[in-house]
Amino acid sequence: MPKLIIDNIPVEVAEGTTVLEAAQSVDIPIPHFCWHPALGKAGACRVCAVKMLDGPVKGIQMSCMLPVMEEMVVSTTDPEAMAMRRSVIEWLMINHPHDCPVCDEGGECQLQDYTIAGGHGIRRYTGTKRTHVNQQLGPYIEHEMNRCIQCYRCVRFYQEYAGGTDFGVMGSAGRVYFGRFQDGPLESPFSGNLVDICPTGVFTDKTARFRARYWDYDMAPSICQECSLGCSITPVARYRELLKIIGRRNDAVNAWFICDRGRFSAATPVNNPLRPRTPRIEGREAGWDSALDAIVQRVSELLKNHGPGCIALVGSQRLSLEGMALLPELSTIMLADAPCYFCDERERVQTSAAVTGLTGAISASMADIRQADCIAIVDVDLMAEAPMMVLAVRQAWRSGAGVYSIGETVDLPCECTAVATLDDVPLATAQRPVIICGTSGFTTARQYVSLPMAKGEPVKISCILPGPNSFSAALFSHEHAAISLEQAISSGRIKGIIAVEADIPPELSADIPVIAALDWRNTDTVAAAQIILPTTAWAEMDGTCINNEGRAQHFRKTMNPGLPVHGLNPAGHPSHLHRTIPPGGDLRPAWQIIDELIVRMGGTRTTEQLNGKWEKLRHLDAEGDGLPIYEL
Amino acid sequence: MKIVSDITAIMTGMWITWKHIFRRPVTIQYPEQKRTPYPRYRARIVLTRDPDGGERCVACQLCSAACPVDCISMQAAEGVGGRRYAEWFRINFSRCIFCGLCAEACPTLAIQMTPDFEICERDIMALVYEKEHLLIDGCGKSSEYNYYRHAGIGVTQPRGTGNEERLPVDVRGLLP
Repeated sequence: MPKLIIDNIPVEVAEGTTVLEAAQSVDIPIPHFCWHPALGKAGACRVCAVKMLDGPVKGIQMSCMLPVMEEMVVSTTDPEAMAMRRSVIEWLMINHPHDCPVCDEGGECQLQDYTIAGGHGIRRYTGTKRTHVNQQLGPYIEHEMNRCIQCYRCVRFYQEYAGGTDFGVMGSAGRVYFGRFQDGPLESPFSGNLVDICPTGVFTDKTARFRARYWDYDMAPSICQECSLGCSITPVARYRELLKIIGRRNDAVNAWFICDRGRFSAATPVNNPLRPRTPRIEGREAGWDSALDAIVQRVSELLKNHGPGCIALVGSQRLSLEGMALLPELSTIMLADAPCYFCDERERVQTSAAVTGLTGAISASMADIRQADCIAIVDVDLMAEAPMMVLAVRQAWRSGAGVYSIGETVDLPCECTAVATLDDVPLATAQRPVIICGTSGFTTARQYVSLPMAKGEPVKISCILPGPNSFSAALFSHEHAAISLEQAISSGRIKGIIAVEADIPPELSADIPVIAALDWRNTDTVAAAQIILPTTAWAEMDGTCINNEGRAQHFRKTMNPGLPVHGLNPAGHPSHLHRTIPPGGDLRPAWQIIDELIVRMGGTRTTEQLNGKWEKLRHLDAEGDGLPIYEL
Repeated sequence: MKIVSDITAIMTGMWITWKHIFRRPVTIQYPEQKRTPYPRYRARIVLTRDPDGGERCVACQLCSAACPVDCISMQAAEGVGGRRYAEWFRINFSRCIFCGLCAEACPTLAIQMTPDFEICERDIMALVYEKEHLLIDGCGKSSEYNYYRHAGIGVTQPRGTGNEERLPVDVRGLLP
């Protein structure tokens, strides 16, 4: 552990750490463009210059390129180093356009911040600026090459980190160009990260082009609801419209990045103008009270005519933990059987088997996968079901792990050996082996966990689940010995369904006389329901979900619900009317509606959410790593 | 002697009063009589156009960020050729304190203060000005500045032909 002194502060860091990281560890910021924690160093931008006052190397040095050595004395505030950094910014700005007012990066731009911080306000150079021709990079990413400062972050991420092949760097000297060989959409399913990683505005999010500025954003730490991995995200909203999604750092899960599916497809259903926005009875708009009373009345009628057990309460794998936890109480008070958290029987059996078979010791986090040295992918199309897992597998492969696939061939951005069975994978000789499987392959994969290992840790398993909160659904399903909706309906007793954010296949609910739907999506179930209660989307509420690894994570409310201001008033500008609730904004989280139904059926109101064994999750830090539920 | 100083004080006051009685009054009979404010007087805000007639405002949000009373709001949108403009632009003059920070912050010289201070209304909602009330057909105080000529990205002209720019480089060229 080398010891060094940075700005008179003694620092002791691990061997191989750079001076820049050592300074960051004691909260001394050093400006940097090309260095990135996930991508490492390139030494391209020269802005992290520090002065070495004493030690093995002396003089001005690039702190990102220099590993710490014993007896180094570093000054970040030395006049010579400061003059160097100021000059670097000045020459980076020589070719940078003066278009911050029309640039979407303005306000969240690292170059802008460091230019202002370095005190470079007046342009001294009177010559002309280099310009480039931009490329059309598809519907998601806007390209403005004039703004480029040649930090190489984009190409290092795209080619090295994500394994993309259609984007690179070309040209020489002052003509260096970052783009594709020809115009065309970027092929990598992780291309959206170029937006996050570019320190200036070369790549900006086309879907949120010119929509808002950083200081006006409604933002909150949140969890992606697109697949079961539960990557950390920061949704960005403005004027009640979900504009875009930014990746958020979580070293235990997604590290720094997110996939394009999470980034570009999550906002559309939330902004959908056809979303249920008002309670409805038989298609007519109704107040909350009358809609809730209508449910209670119909449930009572059904109970009178058909006796207990004629109501099915249906949860889903996208309902938050808070809602799931209240459903059993509602089913008891409605004299129904345990709530159906799954519609499909096979899905219930397989997911429950996977979730109950996982323990804290064998459940692999995505961090475990990035550090694995042998990965077996069993019968699961990762790119379709959990894209970020592909990126994690690639990081392991880059560090030398062997990647094996069993069953259907998967197209991965890394070398992958196809083998017949798990027996052909050298799990026993690996130090940190991981099996990635779907719910269908879990039982097979689970047998390999108890194999005698020659060395290293036991085999860990990462099981990709069908939905964002499948883990919780399976836990509750198992705890309450619940059956699937398919089974419940086949018994013939079900006369009424209360679907809570559930996607019930139309053929299952076809013969059910009474259907009430609580949902924020415009689903077939909502279309078939006689009573509709609109709920808030994940971005409009606080909630908890458990990812495929068993990690409970809290997501916070990003924006107030309501129809987006954009396009609401034909005059083009927002209305001049004052309202207490915005149009389409009278929505409630699903758990509140369930609670209200419990009260109206004669139960007691829930004062605190997440009781009993879930109590530890009440104050889960949304910005933290989450909590593995095995610790509860 | 206390009485002497008291009398002196009263006499001094009276003297000043009498002196002002014979001076020309500074008060004018507004609104019958009106003063012309100086050109740089800070009153009603307008949005100006560039010399080519295009809207100067690019809805960069700097004025709304600078505004200490949060009376400016807008939404940017993309126009023809990638030009950024304000889809709607609103100044709530019932809240505005006419400090001029918005005009100072404006990088395109779009938002400018005029000397027109007579904007009283009986209905307070009539003080909420939308873009159609704010946008004027002229350059205001600066008749020459055209932001997009200097911006460094080709929006109103082909790429590389703006002021202080070279033609786009040939990436595939091998010459030094």
